[in-house]
Amino acid sequence: MDLGFVLPSASRESKDVDVAIIGAGPAGLSAGIYAVRAGLKAIIIDKGNAGGLAEEAPFVENYLGFEGIKGEDLAKRFKEHAMKYVEISERNEVKEIIRDNGIFVIKAEKGEYRAKAIIFATGTTHKKLNVPGENEFYGKGVSYCVTCDGYFFRGKKVAVIGGGNSGAIAAIYLKDIGVDPVVLEFMPKYMCEKAYVDIIKEKGIEYITNAMVTEIAGKDKVEKVIYKDRNTGETKEISVDGVFIYIGLIPISDLAKKLGVETDNRGYIKVSSKMRTNVPMVYAAGDVTGIAGQIIIAAGQGAMAALTAYEDLTFS
Amino acid sequence: MIHKGFNMIPIWAPKVIEMGYIGDKDKEYLKEEFSKHLKENVKLLVFTGDNCQYCNVATAIAQEVAELHDAIEFHEYRVDSDEAKIYGVDKAPTVIVTDGDKYGGRIRYVGLPSGYEFSSLIEDIIDVSRRTAEVSEEVKAQLDMIDKPVRIQIFVTPTCPYCPRAVRTAHRFAILNENITGEMVEAIEFPEWANKWNVMSVPHIVINEDVQFIGAYPDEQYIKYVVDAWKKMK
Repeated sequence: MDLGFVLPSASRESKDVDVAIIGAGPAGLSAGIYAVRAGLKAIIIDKGNAGGLAEEAPFVENYLGFEGIKGEDLAKRFKEHAMKYVEISERNEVKEIIRDNGIFVIKAEKGEYRAKAIIFATGTTHKKLNVPGENEFYGKGVSYCVTCDGYFFRGKKVAVIGGGNSGAIAAIYLKDIGVDPVVLEFMPKYMCEKAYVDIIKEKGIEYITNAMVTEIAGKDKVEKVIYKDRNTGETKEISVDGVFIYIGLIPISDLAKKLGVETDNRGYIKVSSKMRTNVPMVYAAGDVTGIAGQIIIAAGQGAMAALTAYEDLTFS
Repeated sequence: MIHKGFNMIPIWAPKVIEMGYIGDKDKEYLKEEFSKHLKENVKLLVFTGDNCQYCNVATAIAQEVAELHDAIEFHEYRVDSDEAKIYGVDKAPTVIVTDGDKYGGRIRYVGLPSGYEFSSLIEDIIDVSRRTAEVSEEVKAQLDMIDKPVRIQIFVTPTCPYCPRAVRTAHRFAILNENITGEMVEAIEFPEWANKWNVMSVPHIVINEDVQFIGAYPDEQYIKYVVDAWKKMK
């Protein structure tokens, strides 16, 4: 019997390291392994669990070596692998990073860490739709996490807003646990990988294109979603008990910005091909760089960032 | 072929009960963690009852964890026993992590601490054994004001990666203030209870059956809700 046990990796002491890695998703964990193997002292600090958004993926089918694995299982493997090398401090939110004589001082909930280099692997968080009803009904039918909340809607109809890969996977997951999902996609065509299009069709999941959601409505909780058909201009509505929003992600880059790290106009950290930012000894890797939003790429970028940090710390 | 995996049975689906829930590799890791961090003794109390789908599993998990270190004691009681009355337990399974003294039954799990909540359980065992928990000075000062019983209930699902943070915050507060009880509730195992509070997104936190909020917030925000609930009692 698999109860999906997740182990903690509590680290408590404040300490000095060569490189501090902020964020314990695939990029951060991979960076940690590479940094320590290269000979650097490192710590990974995460405000939540190690695993990052990979944990929320109901199923991952494009990570090399795994034909299909639950996101949480893959994240668990990453974490257990990384824990063999590097200390991971979970549920420890970094509040502030300041520079003191060329050393970064990282002030976090559980302690203070001093580092010669920093890798931002802070990832992304769910983007909001910004329509009436979204905030009002958060927790009353509006959700951003199917693995967390899907079960509350068994036997009920829900709308998944956004038909990209995340939305498609969410809809398939919901269908499989006994929820009746309908996908609302803004663009005129399927926006997910063909592999998911096939499953959506096979499972008979309704996928509505050209749908611009304008409102989530109800009395005390979500009762319907209202959208404009971009083809006809008509306003339509669907009765639903829940709305799962998967319209994309926004980078978590505020801490980096405060250190003077340059971002693009959407807030993604700009990096060189070796994962350097514009600030010396500051690197970024994974989804926060906005390059692909793929687990395998995040892991690769994490490795690259650690190798570059090692190079810079050793030879400069 | 491609989508085979989507049809997997959810991890908490009832299956044939067998011994050995925690894998050998996980056990090795936990042994090491416990030997590093455990100081004083810790009691794991499991309350079981009839018609309880997950009681055997809760018992087995607690037993297996207790076997990993001498400082951890395991006890099983019936939910209608005198001990249950002493600890204020009326639902099964309930798991309490305690020193058997000042922590009483204030650090508790109603429903199975599986999935992500297993990590909360382990961290609780370590903190209870250390007889302390970490919060900032600012949060500690606010915690110290709480001079009446405050009950924090955290509704969770085992597949929610954000939930342990909310559970652990309540449990850390409970360790640091004897008026605070932190009670995780597994919403899928107790649907009527979850419905009472219209739980549709987790973590969903209910304080003193009054103040509610949704989400895993940092200590500084969390404590504000606790203080609000406490002020309303005056």
